[in-house]
Amino acid sequence: MNRIINYLIDVIRGVLFYFSQTKLRTALTLLGITVGVSSIIAIMTVLATFEKTTDQIVSDVRTNVFYITRENPIEVSFGDNNKWARNKPKITWNEYEQLKRSLKLIENMSAVVSEEPSDRTFSVGKKEFKSRIQSFWAADGDILSLYKYDIIDGRNIQEVDINNRSRVAIVGSDIKKELFPFKNPVGETIKIDNIPFEIIALTEEKGELAGQSMDSMVGIPISTYLKYFGGNWRRADLQLVLESESIENIDDATDEAIGVFRAIRKIPPGDPNNFYIATNDQLMDTFGEFTGYLKTFVGLITGISLLVAGIGIANIMLVSLNERIKEIGIRKALGARRSDIFLQFLIEAILISLLGGIIGIFIGLSFGNVVALFLEQSPVIPIDWVFYSLQICASMGIIFGLYPAIKASKLNPIDSMRFD
Amino acid sequence: MTKSRREIIGIKSVSKIYNLGDTIVKALDNVSLSINENDYISIMGPSGSGKSTLMNIIGCLDVPTKGTYKFNNEKISDMNDNQLANIRNEKIGFVFQTFNLLPKLNSIQNVEVPLVYSSLGRAERSLKAKKALKIVGLEDRMSHKPNELSGGQRQRVAIARALVNEPSIILADEPTGNLDSKSGTEILNFFDSLHKAGNTLIIVTHEDSVAKRAKRRIEIFDGKITLDE
Ligand SMILES: Nc1ncnc2c1ncn2[C@@H]1O[C@H](COP(=O)(O)OP(=O)(O)OP(=O)(O)O)[C@@H](O)[C@H]1O
Ligand SMILES: [Mg+2]
Repeated sequence: MNRIINYLIDVIRGVLFYFSQTKLRTALTLLGITVGVSSIIAIMTVLATFEKTTDQIVSDVRTNVFYITRENPIEVSFGDNNKWARNKPKITWNEYEQLKRSLKLIENMSAVVSEEPSDRTFSVGKKEFKSRIQSFWAADGDILSLYKYDIIDGRNIQEVDINNRSRVAIVGSDIKKELFPFKNPVGETIKIDNIPFEIIALTEEKGELAGQSMDSMVGIPISTYLKYFGGNWRRADLQLVLESESIENIDDATDEAIGVFRAIRKIPPGDPNNFYIATNDQLMDTFGEFTGYLKTFVGLITGISLLVAGIGIANIMLVSLNERIKEIGIRKALGARRSDIFLQFLIEAILISLLGGIIGIFIGLSFGNVVALFLEQSPVIPIDWVFYSLQICASMGIIFGLYPAIKASKLNPIDSMRFD
Repeated sequence: MTKSRREIIGIKSVSKIYNLGDTIVKALDNVSLSINENDYISIMGPSGSGKSTLMNIIGCLDVPTKGTYKFNNEKISDMNDNQLANIRNEKIGFVFQTFNLLPKLNSIQNVEVPLVYSSLGRAERSLKAKKALKIVGLEDRMSHKPNELSGGQRQRVAIARALVNEPSIILADEPTGNLDSKSGTEILNFFDSLHKAGNTLIIVTHEDSVAKRAKRRIEIFDGKITLDE
């Protein structure tokens, strides 16, 4: 055993020595693998970052909360089901009120319309909020507690605001910072598309999530929104946010909501839902599905690029074989066995692809984590993919080194020594 | 008379024929030769007469077109690749006419090559290689690469490499061709001492002074042995 290890160390040292004597060729061979591996690692790092970010989003929103919407927000934003979604009926105010009356397992429920981000202008006097407001929402009920915003000054939107369609607004801390740098905004006036609203509350700073400020936020009563910005009540496309009594009975609560909503819409048994119900778990699943596709796609692309790199290895190994026929002849004349030459060439191929892989992993991790930095995430290392990459590289070295190695080992000493 | 010694090399009716399309070259033509343990042989002959061809066959680097070659009473043609590699590695030290050093390796690394294939530890290897280089007087050129050495120095590295594994048979193809008479004499003195220690030596040479040291003289002409005494 010890002898074998010593022998392998010898072979590896010999190969490393050979690399050091042919730096340029070694570097060129490394390049192909390095590019392939670094791209796979970079993308996997970014995906891991995204997964972490969504985990945070989901754990940030209370987990006994679920949503009823016309369409799956994630699928829509990735584009493929748009047409299908458009054929589904909008969720109306009437349906919302019927649901609210019938649901027994729901503690807290809100109807929301939101513009994320909003293209409206938000101004105080002549001063305008410079960037776009990330979240302009209008709601009924206690949406602040559902979304976990705390009021630091002022009061929440109340029943009376909804009924009177009052022009009142809750603002996030970004609005205070930019438009009321030296003043308490509560009691002041903010104009939304030039319509004046009285600010009734300021929420506590929540910071950033996935690179976006959670405090670039303005909220108003839903009735007011529909009157001033939304046009017809009947055309409003509501999103419903529901909260079950506890995390334990969220499944019962969603079942109840589905049953009641199907009854309201008179959907015959056996027909699919013409609305989308999303728990946080489902949101995660959808995201997971999406990243799954992306991973397969990336895997395919890198697979192809690694194949090309592998053929490059085989090619360079064959070229170097031709240049080294004399060397092989001399070594055989001095007592090298077939297996010695075979191993020398095979290990050379494996080492070079592993080396390329390791460099690629470092480059990929750096690139990927620069993205993580932008998303304000702590660094991530997709350990599983690091191992896969190393495995792929090692097997590539074996596969593409095999033919040159066999060819080298079969050379006859005297003819190869004469080769020039 | 010396006591009868064991035959270690038995060549019977060996020919080496190169077929070059329009011409046929008989580098060796029906050669028979028996070499015993502790023989000290010089081989002489004009250029192109087949000396190197014969040495390559004796050294198990090349195979005859016709005839049989027995090494230690075993037919070479019956041996597999690993057995031949072992003979080349352990039994025979070959000094090539054209040196055949590895250009990327320095002197000591070149001398170590046969030891690499004989499962020796690293420390032991470099110790033996240094010893061999000292014998040929190159202890001050250990880390020079072949292109940083003179022709004679390269030849001495090649000799050190042939000696390093302490083989019982030394095949030297014009080992002193590039050496001045002083270092040539040193090498030949060392060969003499190897012979006294019981080794078998076969030396190709053009110089009478070299041939005179040998106990047996073979002459080759046109692929045939013309003298063996
Ligand atoms: N691979 C080969 N193909 C064709 N002919 C060859 C080959 N190798 C050797 N020969 C021929 O065989 C003959 C013997 O060659 P060899 O090298 O044995 O000569 P030599 O006696 O060693 O000569 P020198 O003293 O010049 O080294 C030569 O005529 C040479 O041309
Ligand atoms: Mg010759």
